[in-house]
Amino acid sequence: MSDESKRKEESAGLMEYSVENLVPFGPIHPALKEPEYFKLILEGEKIVQVIPRIGYVHRGLEKAAEQRPWVQNMYMFERTCGICSFVHSLCYAQAVEGLTIYEVPKRAEFLRLIIAELERIHSHLLWVGLMGHWAGFETLFMWVWNDRELVLDIVEAICGNRVHKSTNAICGVRRDMPENMTDRVVERMKYIVDRAHYYRSIIDTEETMLKRTENVGGKVTQETAEKLCAVGPMARYVGLRQDVRLNDPYAAYDEVPFDIVTRTEGDVRSLLRLRLDELIVSANMVSYAVQHLPDGPIRVKIPPIIPAGEHSSHCEAPRGEIFYYAKSTGGRTPDRVKSRQPTMANIPVALELLKGQSLADVPMVLTAIDPCFGCMDRMSFLDTETNENWTWSGEQLRQYGIQHYFPDRFKTQQVRRLP
Amino acid sequence: MSEVLIQHLQKYADEANGKVTTPRKGETFIEIDQAHIKAFISHVVNDLRVLWLSTITGLDLGQNFGIIYHFSHENQKIQVKTTVPKIQPSTDSIVGIIPGAILYEMEIHDLFGLMFAGNPWINQKLLLPDNWPADLPPPLLKSSKPAEIRKRLHLEVERK
Repeated sequence: MSDESKRKEESAGLMEYSVENLVPFGPIHPALKEPEYFKLILEGEKIVQVIPRIGYVHRGLEKAAEQRPWVQNMYMFERTCGICSFVHSLCYAQAVEGLTIYEVPKRAEFLRLIIAELERIHSHLLWVGLMGHWAGFETLFMWVWNDRELVLDIVEAICGNRVHKSTNAICGVRRDMPENMTDRVVERMKYIVDRAHYYRSIIDTEETMLKRTENVGGKVTQETAEKLCAVGPMARYVGLRQDVRLNDPYAAYDEVPFDIVTRTEGDVRSLLRLRLDELIVSANMVSYAVQHLPDGPIRVKIPPIIPAGEHSSHCEAPRGEIFYYAKSTGGRTPDRVKSRQPTMANIPVALELLKGQSLADVPMVLTAIDPCFGCMDRMSFLDTETNENWTWSGEQLRQYGIQHYFPDRFKTQQVRRLP
Repeated sequence: MSEVLIQHLQKYADEANGKVTTPRKGETFIEIDQAHIKAFISHVVNDLRVLWLSTITGLDLGQNFGIIYHFSHENQKIQVKTTVPKIQPSTDSIVGIIPGAILYEMEIHDLFGLMFAGNPWINQKLLLPDNWPADLPPPLLKSSKPAEIRKRLHLEVERK
């Protein structure tokens, strides 16, 4: 090994793993989703160890929350995520409502349920489309994202916004449902259920999806998932009945009939089936809730000062349990707000899933946990035997994955194969 | 179910000189001395089968650090509280009992400077930037001011 390459490795902190191959996965690319960094340690094609490094988009929201009034914080925490924004403000609002003496009106609780479930539908649809994209099945991506627009149209009609709904208020919601929406929503939900059944049949029969998803992803046992505190679909796909909506009902979840979906196969395909089934359940819940919407006020006005105390709240976001803790000393600003997102809880499971997988399956497995990050757009490779160094973009990695399974594709633009 | 669970919690808390309070329905706070925290959580996880650790919260309580372990069990929220003096900011890691706690402990180490003895990844940075100055206090301490952090990390935007 030459001095120059030794120095390079030392400065990158790679000396520890000089025997095997180390693949830095991430972190920087502004174009696609958020940045994230995984050190993948390879033995040939197989991944033997994964070390995460998160925080590239850490903005210090918990510190910022201590400087801002209670109400303003809610709209700030809503900006945590661009996909599941509503559930953040809902969970924060519930944590603060626990400190006050006021009760949320029934109609507001139903409206919260409707928006939260619409959000789950569009988030799951987005994910199914992305899985199609990474598998090399662009048609599925186009179809699914087209259907997602139909859901976003309803969200816009109810909230006024597509992404950051800003509909929640402490002890209520800010906007009532427009009149004569019921039939339109029920009709759309019926259409979404039909489409979801169709996508399920595609996943079970289409060759591209079968090859890329069946028996892909390390087997996680129930015991491992329990030990690693997996949340949401990542717990349910190994058979654990872990769902906050069912275990600890909030909003109007105790008044709308539903059942959660669990599976036991434990591969990426079972996650696809699980999320599509969940989407159908959510669509039925929305139809039921709009038809049984109670009358009454939608909001209670509360004073800006929140009494002293501490309270925690959890909700079921599309990706799993989301957790907020609020502590007040009786002032206009919080003493401490803690927020924990589901992706954070699922990272240990993702690391477990990646172990033993081949490099070609990394995009599928990492996308399978439905991460709120997942910058696939920059990978650099280091072969420690020949001191070769090269970089792949996320697109090239995707092509490598597709080529691994379907060698006759991408004939014109061959990507470099691993030595 | 929940009454039986709280009775058991009370029994284990009494052994460790702890205090159990239930301010609201479904929410239980248990205050435990720092020395007994690992044994108590071991009872909670292994004997009572309360397995789902939601997160760990760090608090700045002036002279002390506060730590809250938030467990979710069916419709119960079980929150185990302890304090660690700031002059000796170190406590036992619970990674041996709950492997899923590893990132939460790293997060508190980054944001409060609190050491968890026994966590294998504790010396790696998780959230803070690589160029975080060693002499700057951890960001979530009350003594740490956002303006100073911005200045030291060269994040200030020059206004014309």
